[in-house]
Amino acid sequence: MIFQENATLQQKIAILADAAKYDVACTSSGVERKSREGYLGNSFASGICHSFAADGRCISLLKILFTNECIYNCKYCVNRVSNDVPRATFTPDEVCTLTVEFYRRNYIEGLFLSSGIVDTPDYTMELICQALRKLRTEYRFHGYVHCKAIPGASSDLVEEAGWYADRMSVNLELPTEQGLRNLAPNKTRKKILTPMRQIQNGMAESRELLGMKGGNQSAYWHTQKRLGRALPGQTGKAVQELESAKAGNAEAGKAVEKMESAKADSPREERMIEKTGIAENKKNGSEERAKNTAGGIILPSGNGVGTGLAQWNRIDTSRGFVPAGQSTQMIVGASGESDYEIMAVTEALYQRFDLKRVFYSAFVNVNQDNALPMVEGQPLRRREHRLYQADFLLRYYGYQASELLSEERPFFNTCLDPKCDWALGHLEQFPVEVMTASYDALLRVPGIGAKSASRIVKARRTGTLDYQALKGMGVVMKRAIYFIICNGKKMYDFLKIDEDYITRNLLENDKNVMESFGEKVTYKQLTLFDDFQFGN
Amino acid sequence: MSDKPVRVYQCEDNISGVLSAVYEAGISGYGHKYIKIQPLAANEIYELELFTEFVRVESSDEKVESVLDAVRNKISNRAYSFVMCAAVSTYSDRGDAIYQFLTYGFSMGDKVCDAIQIPWVKRAFEIRRRVFNEAHFFREFIRFREVQKDPALLVATIEPEHHILPIIMDHFSDRFAGEWFIILDKGHGEAAFHQKNGDWEVRILTTEEEKMLAELGEQREEYVELWKTFFKHIAIPDRKNEKLQRNMLPLHYRKNLTEFIEE
Repeated sequence: MIFQENATLQQKIAILADAAKYDVACTSSGVERKSREGYLGNSFASGICHSFAADGRCISLLKILFTNECIYNCKYCVNRVSNDVPRATFTPDEVCTLTVEFYRRNYIEGLFLSSGIVDTPDYTMELICQALRKLRTEYRFHGYVHCKAIPGASSDLVEEAGWYADRMSVNLELPTEQGLRNLAPNKTRKKILTPMRQIQNGMAESRELLGMKGGNQSAYWHTQKRLGRALPGQTGKAVQELESAKAGNAEAGKAVEKMESAKADSPREERMIEKTGIAENKKNGSEERAKNTAGGIILPSGNGVGTGLAQWNRIDTSRGFVPAGQSTQMIVGASGESDYEIMAVTEALYQRFDLKRVFYSAFVNVNQDNALPMVEGQPLRRREHRLYQADFLLRYYGYQASELLSEERPFFNTCLDPKCDWALGHLEQFPVEVMTASYDALLRVPGIGAKSASRIVKARRTGTLDYQALKGMGVVMKRAIYFIICNGKKMYDFLKIDEDYITRNLLENDKNVMESFGEKVTYKQLTLFDDFQFGN
Repeated sequence: MSDKPVRVYQCEDNISGVLSAVYEAGISGYGHKYIKIQPLAANEIYELELFTEFVRVESSDEKVESVLDAVRNKISNRAYSFVMCAAVSTYSDRGDAIYQFLTYGFSMGDKVCDAIQIPWVKRAFEIRRRVFNEAHFFREFIRFREVQKDPALLVATIEPEHHILPIIMDHFSDRFAGEWFIILDKGHGEAAFHQKNGDWEVRILTTEEEKMLAELGEQREEYVELWKTFFKHIAIPDRKNEKLQRNMLPLHYRKNLTEFIEE
């Protein structure tokens, strides 16, 4: 191991940014906070990107590791103990000074602090807490902070970090439990999900006690609410209902039934979720929480040790507990799982762990480890792109994972985005009349997004719309025209609702999209897809 | 169509000029189909058109206030933001957009802001979106330099298309409430000055002041190198994608960004 004993600050930044760059999430969104006298900074609800790196990814936060020393040996990780890379460690003051001075120059929105595991998970979490404690109390930093909860760290430390941070994340690392066992032997699903559950419960409590300041709900939650779907055990209220149902309250018992039934639509899906290892209790009904068997895990229950917020009196609670919510990320393409498995995990995380975001990171084989697949970057990045598109469909558009993929068709179409692909499989629901369709029906039209759908709904109350007007509202006409009518009229008479016809035209239009992935799409390839994938 | 001549209200090329012209056009009762508003930029030549009459508008604060009061009281705050965004923009048809938007607004009320199927409302909507978008870009892509310590002074330079200083100052005066700072809008010769824990103002600069501020904003300091180091190392080499980078951060905005400037 190479230690940089007397590394300059500049060398440390280089080493510890290099070590942190494979972490995906760099968002600074989720909390709106005005400034406070005597403190530096505020926070902007939708987040602010400050620059874009040479890979085109946004730079919003000072994303660094506290140290890249690590006792673990996760096969995919550049910082694993068996790698011969330069190592460095910041001091808490260095982290604070860099954050504050970068922030004052408007380089960043705040700090994203993660760390390799030094000595023990607790010791590492304590280092993170020290830095954040200093940043908030001595340096009086009032901007955005994202930090990692280290799996295996004690709940006290996780809670303390949660009072300093705006967002926390625990990395799921790999979509399946098997993958985790193979590639990250020092981590277990249980160790990952325990802090995740603790943060979820803490947020629910913080919301109840502090109101809006305690943190707002996720996009997924709002979408489900709009669609009138039950959410299993998410809010504090739902947890209470669950508790009182156990005590034999008939009224709330119904609510629980509803929630339970929302958990899994079919036995098959239930199986799928079990395989991923995030099922919490296996059977519904009168049985006590089923004790853990092969795939499942036991999670701390509401009155168990380590949940609930215990540090109210010791800490400044004015910002709330993890007010911008929690996120996670997983590596795609390293352990052979299907898109369907990944989407099932994602959906379960939104439903059962109340996550704000799930991030996907196309696997980069930095270590050339022979336990890992040799991958080509381009196709994997396109897969990652499709997963993000589908993730948006879950969170904002109200799609369910089972609508997009199935066990029989477990991968996304590489040529068409998931929404177009869904629409082509459901042509019986089209065309949609723009003047009368509901907001949610409009959202399902390819080429209409959340913004344009809401503009349409508002504008049509004030008068009649035509195709020219739709264009002005941001509707992507080259996609939408096949799926809509406006005042009973098609945009062009020759348009027909026919799967082959629409597919061909959409693919023709999407050439640019394909090229942005560095691919040359030729006419020949298109006919090939026509014949083999979409033809009847 | 009658053969009534088109009447062009010519005004100063600034917020006060445009809104004064809107006022004059509004009280004229000439018929909004025949009215145009033309802000006259200095050093530009405008052709005279046949069958057109020209009216020179004198700017005044009373006219401006009268228009803005009417918008707030008779339409809504949302409509007010449409009008102000157009007023701070630099599009040559902004006066027309405001005037025509208001003719609908006074009869429709607040609903006008949603009625983007009406061409002039769509135009006003579009201008507002562009101005807000540009303002947001300059919440993101603006870099301060500490040009002085004790007391610390931060200076930034931007070159926006529209006069967005007041919009972004709402943001930065809250964020950096405890700092002395100056943002120089180089293209328009304006600057915003913020006092530590105090007020801010936007002022039009003299040529000397502008030159002095521009030089101040290029001063070297230690954090520039640290930031550049971070910027370079946070990118994943295997994922290098300059096209995507250019889409997200167009070259036009890089002119004054520390991480893209060679020193």
